[in-house]
Amino acid sequence: MEFTYETVAFFIFALTTLGSGIMVVTDENLFHASLYLLFSLFGVSGLFVLLVAPFLAAVQVLVYMGAIGILIIFAIMLTRGMMKMDQVYNSQRVAAAVVAVLLFIALAVTLTPIVDELEFGEDLNAELAEDPVADVTYETVNELGKVITDRNGFVLPFEVASLLLTAAMIGAIVVAREDEA
Amino acid sequence: MVFNTDVTANFWAVAPEIALAIIGLIVLGLDLYSRESQRRDVGYFAGFLLLALAAATVFVPTPDGSLSEQLVLGGMLRHDQFTQIFRTMIYIAAALTCFIAMGDNRMRYKGEFYLLVIVATIGASLLAGASDLVMVFVALETLSISLYALAGFVRDDARSAESGLKYFLIGSFATGFTLYGFSLLYGFTGATQIYGPDGIGQQLAAGKLNDAPIIVAMMMIVVGFGFKISAVPFHFWTPDVYEGSPTAMTAFVSVASKAASFAVLLRFMLAVFPPEKLAVGAAADYSELWVPLISVLAVITMTIGNVVALVQKNIKRLLAYSSIAQAGYALMGVAAIATTDGGQGAASVAFYMFMYILTNILAFGCIIVFANATGSETIADFASLGRRNLWLAMFMTIALLSLGGIPPAAGFIGKFYLFRAAVDADLILLAVAGVLNSIIALYYYLVIIKVMFVDPSPDEDKDIPMPANYAWVLGAASLAVVLLGTVLANPVIDWATQAGLELFI
Amino acid sequence: MVPLYMYLLVAAALFCIGVFGVLSRRNAIAILMGIELMLNAVNINLVAFWRYLKPDEINGQVFAAFVFVVAAAEAAVGLALIISVYRNRNTVEAEDINLLKW
Repeated sequence: MEFTYETVAFFIFALTTLGSGIMVVTDENLFHASLYLLFSLFGVSGLFVLLVAPFLAAVQVLVYMGAIGILIIFAIMLTRGMMKMDQVYNSQRVAAAVVAVLLFIALAVTLTPIVDELEFGEDLNAELAEDPVADVTYETVNELGKVITDRNGFVLPFEVASLLLTAAMIGAIVVAREDEA
Repeated sequence: MVFNTDVTANFWAVAPEIALAIIGLIVLGLDLYSRESQRRDVGYFAGFLLLALAAATVFVPTPDGSLSEQLVLGGMLRHDQFTQIFRTMIYIAAALTCFIAMGDNRMRYKGEFYLLVIVATIGASLLAGASDLVMVFVALETLSISLYALAGFVRDDARSAESGLKYFLIGSFATGFTLYGFSLLYGFTGATQIYGPDGIGQQLAAGKLNDAPIIVAMMMIVVGFGFKISAVPFHFWTPDVYEGSPTAMTAFVSVASKAASFAVLLRFMLAVFPPEKLAVGAAADYSELWVPLISVLAVITMTIGNVVALVQKNIKRLLAYSSIAQAGYALMGVAAIATTDGGQGAASVAFYMFMYILTNILAFGCIIVFANATGSETIADFASLGRRNLWLAMFMTIALLSLGGIPPAAGFIGKFYLFRAAVDADLILLAVAGVLNSIIALYYYLVIIKVMFVDPSPDEDKDIPMPANYAWVLGAASLAVVLLGTVLANPVIDWATQAGLELFI
Repeated sequence: MVPLYMYLLVAAALFCIGVFGVLSRRNAIAILMGIELMLNAVNINLVAFWRYLKPDEINGQVFAAFVFVVAAAEAAVGLALIISVYRNRNTVEAEDINLLKW
């Protein structure tokens, strides 16, 4: 890996994502944790930019940080009573840490060439070592729009997703609204 | 891969879902424009339309012959008899759920309840046919998110809200694992389509990848699906959610979600990690990995489910553990699909789910009637039910006999075919474990029957009223359970066998 | 140029941080935030695989877009349930959701 602007940017975004991510799961103050979540999501959106997916990066900021992040902050404020917690963790904190670390080791060893013998197959190893195909178009939005409305593309999941959003909205209203007494 | 682009074939492939979406919109409109006292009719309306849809689905033509004819809408869905049989049973489950929900005052006047049931049904029915990772994911979440809202539907009941939250947190956690596994599968092959020469299955079978990353992806996906079908050790949410949710909702979760998850598990394992005979010129046979994995899951699931069920005091918790055990039996059929020739494995699971849906809804319907009259869900309070309301006790007995696998109820034939599929697949030990477990299970089912007909009760002279609409629904369901175990057994098994065979095209 | 496995490593780490959060936190909202981290890890995976292995087909980005949609729906319903529980009990501590319990 050479030292270029791209690698520097990658490390900045990756460290933002992971560092804030760790704060999300360890910070004692729930409100602070939610702000760290926003930072972490921002880091992910930076990674999307580096991966030449500008549309998804924008959606990440709008939907994830804008909608979901704000929704979470709303929920924290609406349930203000437990913002300050006596106990952050349940009784399985140590077991959870062990599970997470073991899972990470398993993923890292199998998915990345850290240990020589355990890599992807030959075909993929070659690709993993090489640079990605250079001629990626930046106009993926066009293509994305066409594919999700194409009868021979992803139109069915697209339509079902709209039903899902409707049902989720109605469900959320039914579950959360005050009784009209 | 060439897909079927014929407009008519594409329309028929999603016609049931289109009909469901229309029914859902009508239900919403009716709910909005009808008076409070008439709202209950919305439930009848939804229920009867769903039943009609279940009947109509049987006659929807599927493209026959080749895989490329059956893959429709850009390969999102595979329209075969396997999809059709699971769709039919899911619609029946949804219809019966609408009918048995009407006794619950907290839900019957709410059109939203029926809408959420219908959207969950759309998700479940697409899940049965989904043949693309994106479609599997979206359908799975359409089903699950509607169910989370349904579990927490009764918002002034703390137990319902809590079980909804628990179901949500654990369900989404499981989704995270499934999804991570999906992203790896996409990474290994660059495809989201599970069928076809350039689909995930055939590419993995070509053996160009090392085993370790594929095993990681497979484990992640099995963990995710394991949560959904409540296989041990991913079952711990089941008793709490079943006990806390409104009973009609419990009935729906226990059948619709489970049937759809088994459908996708069968299709997914067979297509993505194909056994040798399904992969042309295969270099790698990953079914050698997942068949032992699923077999072990099956044995521990049925054993833990049955043993813990023995000590339960609450009838809903008992049925929760019993449903864990039933999932264990059905997993035997999943383990058998890779090695049986004629698709008996898939056929036996399809038949088993058909009988399980009818039986479980019948059991939960009886519990609703009983709990409405007495306010109790404790097994001991069922004492002398036979003298307090003979019909209710009879219906409950039929349900329990079917769950226990005693003829003439359908459960006997269901279990018989599962065990036979396991034996045919040379999984003899698995079949033996299944038989031993059925014997343990018989004990706690028979104890309830004994309590109902033999044990004395201080309230012996108090009748338990059964509303006329319940009498009809439960009577019809009991009749269906018995018919499925006798005269209807052969036609349905033939249908299931054809469905199983089509998975191997 | 950053090699693909670096992105996979970041995604794996983020996923495991999320898993730790879900398994160890008491508060339901904190658990939900752990789940969001897991879903983001999946999206990094999808987009990185798309960029490095299949940039000529848009599938990976489509998949990631659907993950966004579903995550939004899931968060809405989940937070509604959290608020409903809070009204009933004045707490959303999830101690009894022992995820590792048999």
